[in-house]
Amino acid sequence: MRVRDHIGLSFANLWKRKLRTCLTAFGVTIGIGALVSMVSFGKGMQKNVTESFRSLDLFNSLTVFSEDFFTGERFDPDRRPAQPLPSGASRAVLDDAALEKIAALKGVDTVFPDVRIPAIVRFNGKDEFRLVQVIPAKVTSSRMLRFSAGKGYASDEEDSLIISDSLLRQFGVQEPQALLGKKMVISSIGFDFSRLNPANLTAALGGERLPFTTEDTELTIVGVAESQAFAGPIPIQSDVFIPPGVSKRMKKLPFSNIWDLFRAREGRLGYSAINVRLSSPAFVEPVKKEVAGMGLRVFALADQFKEVQKGFLILNMVLAAVGMIAIVVASLGIVNTMVMSILERYSEIGIMKAVGASDRDVRRIFFFESSVIGFIGGGFGFALGWAVSGVINRVVNYFLAKQGVPYIAYFSFPVWLALGAIAFSVAVSLAAGVYPAMRAARVDPVRALRHD
Amino acid sequence: MGNVPILISNLSKVYSTAKVRVAALQDVSLSLEEGVFAAVTGASGSGKSTLLNLLGGLDTPTSGTIEVRGRKISEMSREELALYRRSGVGMIFQSFNLIPGFNALENVALPLMFAGVAKRERRNRAGEVLAQVGLGARIAHRPSELSGGEQQRVAIARALVNRPRVLLADEPTGNLDSRTSREIVTLLAELNRDQGLTIVMVTHEESLAREFAGRGVRLSDGKVQAEERWR
Repeated sequence: MRVRDHIGLSFANLWKRKLRTCLTAFGVTIGIGALVSMVSFGKGMQKNVTESFRSLDLFNSLTVFSEDFFTGERFDPDRRPAQPLPSGASRAVLDDAALEKIAALKGVDTVFPDVRIPAIVRFNGKDEFRLVQVIPAKVTSSRMLRFSAGKGYASDEEDSLIISDSLLRQFGVQEPQALLGKKMVISSIGFDFSRLNPANLTAALGGERLPFTTEDTELTIVGVAESQAFAGPIPIQSDVFIPPGVSKRMKKLPFSNIWDLFRAREGRLGYSAINVRLSSPAFVEPVKKEVAGMGLRVFALADQFKEVQKGFLILNMVLAAVGMIAIVVASLGIVNTMVMSILERYSEIGIMKAVGASDRDVRRIFFFESSVIGFIGGGFGFALGWAVSGVINRVVNYFLAKQGVPYIAYFSFPVWLALGAIAFSVAVSLAAGVYPAMRAARVDPVRALRHD
Repeated sequence: MGNVPILISNLSKVYSTAKVRVAALQDVSLSLEEGVFAAVTGASGSGKSTLLNLLGGLDTPTSGTIEVRGRKISEMSREELALYRRSGVGMIFQSFNLIPGFNALENVALPLMFAGVAKRERRNRAGEVLAQVGLGARIAHRPSELSGGEQQRVAIARALVNRPRVLLADEPTGNLDSRTSREIVTLLAELNRDQGLTIVMVTHEESLAREFAGRGVRLSDGKVQAEERWR
């Protein structure tokens, strides 16, 4: 029998039992729809992270900590104990000397310390508390920062700042362009040495007269940066960025984090971390080695990305397993439909055998019918999964946008998912058709013809 | 061999269930020459239909051999039997056994589909054979829209569409009135005479059989009771 005839016969037979075919295919549609939206969600998340990594140049990035960095393991997915220092190395402080040494290494493009200043950002009569990040002008014009309006500052001394678009929304501004050139006040905290006497300190424990003072610095907004869609240990992550020159002139605490104080060595704090940008991912390994040799601890985001990928593999498998439940139920529906069909067409099978249909022909007739159900169900299932995901994506983004979270496509529908969904649906249907097809092929024509 | 297209030797068929053993055919030996129109008669339960089903390759014997035109069908595999039913032999039945959802043309074309013939050619050949049996004008009718005689003609056309040399008819007139019965048997006799088709017809209407058939085989309790040459 020709394949064309098989297909034609399948559609003709299924068309004769429209309602049942539709119901069975609908079961498959729901199953495939569930699977498709689950998998596309997993893939969407993975794609978001991968693309962010790539577009932010994170595969080129290293972060350097001092070897005894107290909170180092927060960033360490393996939670491995501090590596033993290479012989001859001593524990180093992350200061400007270390920074310059790293900057001189081959393949290093930009080096800047990770400095974050706790401050109140004041605009439009509203106050927001933020950790203000200090980044050099060179970095503001790199791929690590993307602007929805304006651009980075031209020099490290300029009285400028960059604000993220999510903070901008917090201030009730919708149009980023309108913000450029406006003044914004950064209110930072510094020590008030006049209050640093033992008597006042005792009082401070009671909650009064802490030895701190605040200082307002007025800066001009030159750029609005796009917020990062995901959180993680990435080098550029803040709602407000200022140049190093401004930071130097500002009154500020020499630490942003209480752990920094525990880290102090011989009274020297050093930086909590140094961000390194390489000219190519190929330099990740050699630079890591060199920096480790300096008695420093290096963390490559590219390494963590492997862990992230592993995590996504598990996430995708769990999501697919949930989707599979519906598929299993749907395949039982196919088995039921096909077995019913054999009982109804018992004498028809006998007739076909009497006029020369082989066991294989009969088996194939049933296989084709169940795979046609699978094909229809798979096609509509993909469409359903796509439609439902689209709705969920819109709803979620609508609510998150109100909280200043930038738009994220939570679902991803690569071409292979569409083809894979249909192929998988057909494969499952074929598997569901095995028992009915075998049973149909075994029909005894003599009994079937007496069956009337 | 060419002159003895159907050779049956020591054929037995036993149906056994858990409790009973029914010997439908016992040690039947028979030879029918090429181009014969043979009528198999006998009371119900005498094994007529069993013999025909074995000849048609629908069933397999318990023991003994069947040879049709030099092919030992009693030794064929299921796959070979399907091929034999497809083109080696044509069968018609008392209840016509047409597929209700197919029209006359589609029913007749069905065996060609299993033979892998392309659709256009299937339709042409099915149309030709339907015209031959006098149904050229009713090809688009479903079985339910045809009379019993017309349905049996469709069944005959279907049996002949793959051009077998042997036609097996199991009570072809059992569901027809006497006038239509005569028409159908006349048609079979014509096919036998004009095309040299070997026909084995099971019937309980012995008088009608005697009028048209050349040989008579009477079965009783699964055995050949009498063999007669009528013309």
